[in-house]
Amino acid sequence: MRLTRTQFLGLSAAAAGTVSLSGCAALVQRYATPEVPDRVGEADADPVVWRVLNRAMFGPRPGDVERVAGVGVDAFIEEQLAPERIPEDWASSLRVGTLDTLEMDAEDARDWEMSNFPEVGKGQAAVELQQACLIRAVYSARQLQEVMMDFWSDHFNVSQLKADCSWLKTVDDRLLRKHAMGKFRDLVSASAHSPAMLFYLDNDKNRRRDAGGDGPNENYARELLELHTLGVNGGYSLKDVQEIARCFSGWGFKKGLTWKPGDFEFRAGQHDDGSKHVLGTLIPGGQGVRDGEQVIDLVCHHPSTARYLARKLCRRFVADRPDPKLVARVAGVFERTDGDIRQVLSALLHSEEFKHGGAPKLKRPVEYAVSAMRAVNANSSCAGVLPHLERMGQLPYKWTMPDGYPERPEAWAPGLLARWNFVVELVQGRLAGTSVPLDRLARATRAAEPLPVLQGLSRAVLGKAITETGIRSLVGEHMPKAFPKTEELQAWTALLLASPGFQYR
Amino acid sequence: MPVSSTAPRRPLLSTAGARQFVFDPQRGPKGDVLVLVFLRGGMDGLHVVPPHGDAAYRKHRHALAVSEPGKGNGTRNLDGFFGLHPDLAPLHELYQDKQLAVVHASGSPDRTLSHFEAMQTMERGVADGNVTATGWIARHLAATTPESPTPLRAVAISDVLPKSMQGAIDATAVRSIAEYRLNVPDQWEDPFRKALGRMYATGSDLASTAGRGTLKLLTKLDRLDPAQYRPEGGAQYPEGDFGSGLKQVAQLIKADIGLEIAEVDLGGWDAHAVQIQLMVGLMQQLGKGLHALYSDLGERTKRVTVVAMSEFGRRVNENGSLGTDHGRATAMFLLGGGIRGGRVWGRWPGLEKEQLDKDGNLQVTTDYRDILGEIVDRRLGNPQVSRVFPEYEPSYLGLTA
Repeated sequence: MRLTRTQFLGLSAAAAGTVSLSGCAALVQRYATPEVPDRVGEADADPVVWRVLNRAMFGPRPGDVERVAGVGVDAFIEEQLAPERIPEDWASSLRVGTLDTLEMDAEDARDWEMSNFPEVGKGQAAVELQQACLIRAVYSARQLQEVMMDFWSDHFNVSQLKADCSWLKTVDDRLLRKHAMGKFRDLVSASAHSPAMLFYLDNDKNRRRDAGGDGPNENYARELLELHTLGVNGGYSLKDVQEIARCFSGWGFKKGLTWKPGDFEFRAGQHDDGSKHVLGTLIPGGQGVRDGEQVIDLVCHHPSTARYLARKLCRRFVADRPDPKLVARVAGVFERTDGDIRQVLSALLHSEEFKHGGAPKLKRPVEYAVSAMRAVNANSSCAGVLPHLERMGQLPYKWTMPDGYPERPEAWAPGLLARWNFVVELVQGRLAGTSVPLDRLARATRAAEPLPVLQGLSRAVLGKAITETGIRSLVGEHMPKAFPKTEELQAWTALLLASPGFQYR
Repeated sequence: MPVSSTAPRRPLLSTAGARQFVFDPQRGPKGDVLVLVFLRGGMDGLHVVPPHGDAAYRKHRHALAVSEPGKGNGTRNLDGFFGLHPDLAPLHELYQDKQLAVVHASGSPDRTLSHFEAMQTMERGVADGNVTATGWIARHLAATTPESPTPLRAVAISDVLPKSMQGAIDATAVRSIAEYRLNVPDQWEDPFRKALGRMYATGSDLASTAGRGTLKLLTKLDRLDPAQYRPEGGAQYPEGDFGSGLKQVAQLIKADIGLEIAEVDLGGWDAHAVQIQLMVGLMQQLGKGLHALYSDLGERTKRVTVVAMSEFGRRVNENGSLGTDHGRATAMFLLGGGIRGGRVWGRWPGLEKEQLDKDGNLQVTTDYRDILGEIVDRRLGNPQVSRVFPEYEPSYLGLTA
């Protein structure tokens, strides 16, 4: 009996209450297959539609161009700005459901790992989170939210490579997702209380000078200012860093006799309860844990923070060197709305500069791999993509420095060979746990002759038909006479994905 | 206004008619090429560079003592106080030519005596491996800009990127340089590469520029078939992964592809039992390997610095299994035209009981960052040593020329 998708979903939900699909990888692979639309690549994409799909999302899947053009760009942006109202694509939720540790707390994830992978010892839970990151980027219907998760994961970088962050990051990721489209202050506060961040930036060790241990630790205080809020030129002094470190002294997380990281814990005995001066404001003595809360208020409402965040978002969405006028406008919205990320993004994404301005942006490796998988409607567990991303230089959550994976394009220029090798394996179906319906895609171009098939594929990958020169570059001298064979389709698609044009979004 | 007229311009397959960008990936680094050999497992410095002039040496080492200089297969004398194990004889020649220096009683502040912790501390270039997650080589690369972007700025001939390089985008781990190639089916190789060449031929954008660099590099590496390589200067690399790794590093250095740092590790020094038998093969590989690399590189050694280091040394007293347990200080080897060789550097803390630390270990008198810091600054041309080794001010020994 062959189940329809709806029947399958109903069955599994009825059987398990909550959908837990461990061990059902084969079933998921079968029933979470993304559908190929009937018609693909009939016309060049509208450039604004193409821009939105490539920058507010992880690139178009077959059919997306027509769908967005149908509802209209502005309506589509509005839809994406309210992820809670978008029904999740079950290609995404089914696959995420196969992962065991995603909803666990850090200790359970660690126990799970110890009992299931004693010989490996470390890393499997971390791999599950990386896999989930890719699954959501490729398949989630809440694409803008996932783009923002990519942004925030770098902004509030926590590397799984730092000891216990291997498990703590899984919890941290849930905290960030909860506020990814909410208020900026809530994000900063969630991050400041997150055991992963407390451990990663050593605030767990930060204590009053005479309270034992190594005394004050300025690591979190400095990065809070430099990377999370005001920015490096945001107008603060070393004294501010030191005073903020005093404010956060005693902020840690619960630990048991064995390894048992729990929630946030304020250790009054380690807190420096004297008065402090932070960014020109007096923080009176005797406030205890409220010192830190007041610092979060101060830094989130600082005008430098609005400018720094606005510029960073404009760099991500519009251009490596964004127009200062646009940055000022977006910063204004940030200030007026008390850092409401949804409204900030709304101003940015509805702007003329976003739709029409700016130079092409080089895709980072995750953007490249995910957009390639989306372009060809790959059916993938995403596990096989991870080693390739490592070679391309951007394995999720592995960046070790607190500044997150770089945005500057020069950083990624040396990694092209790894990109080319990835797309070749992808289209040839050599990637573990992955298949690509190239033949169906080619038939959906509704063409019988080789050239129109190629043009249909080009529209799916690059948004438009290629020029005469482009065709000669790609095919060489020998255009096949009949409908292209599978191997020809593979080579063409791989070359389209490997082309300079597809390196940009 | 019609949308299309102001729509963003994207390069399609290539940016036709664009100005040809001058791109030369062949320019080499400004400083030396650094070849790092990490001797994993804790190499016994007292066995490879025995202090035959220290009267206490033979009080601690009986079965494991290396014969005195002059006797049969005895220690090769270095400076009247230290010697070199006879199985490292090829290095003795380099020492006499003043190309090789030894820094004895060197190590890190790590006191855990755990391989993992101690390696992590050294590879991350800190006093406590948990304070940062980036490697010192990665921070060095981040602090300097190559003259032109190259995919192979730093290479580890290894399955995984070593911790020293973690955090660097422009570092690559390959089991063999033969792996750095286009992974397409054989029948695609030629047409696929030609098509890439045409698509990337003309654009002046970053991707096109980088793509041409990558394709040029692939063409160069095609000619570097490791099986066909003929080492120069009579070099004879030892059999095995270590020798083959060094040979490939020599190939890469000679190919002038902008390689700045290479790492080839030699592991297995954890000699808890039957140390003599265990170390013979390792020392022979190390000695022959470095000697071959040096001969092969010839004149180029003027701009190459080789560092061989281990996470810690061994306990001064031998144990009951004809081996030694984890200790602290060990010896470090430095090789190159820019190294003031023919000398054993560092302050010798002594092997008398009261001169050892409370666990019976040789004390560390030279921090490994003093040595690496000087090399980064004086040989690799990167004065930002504080970015590479944070929270530490190295005192240079003056071992670079």
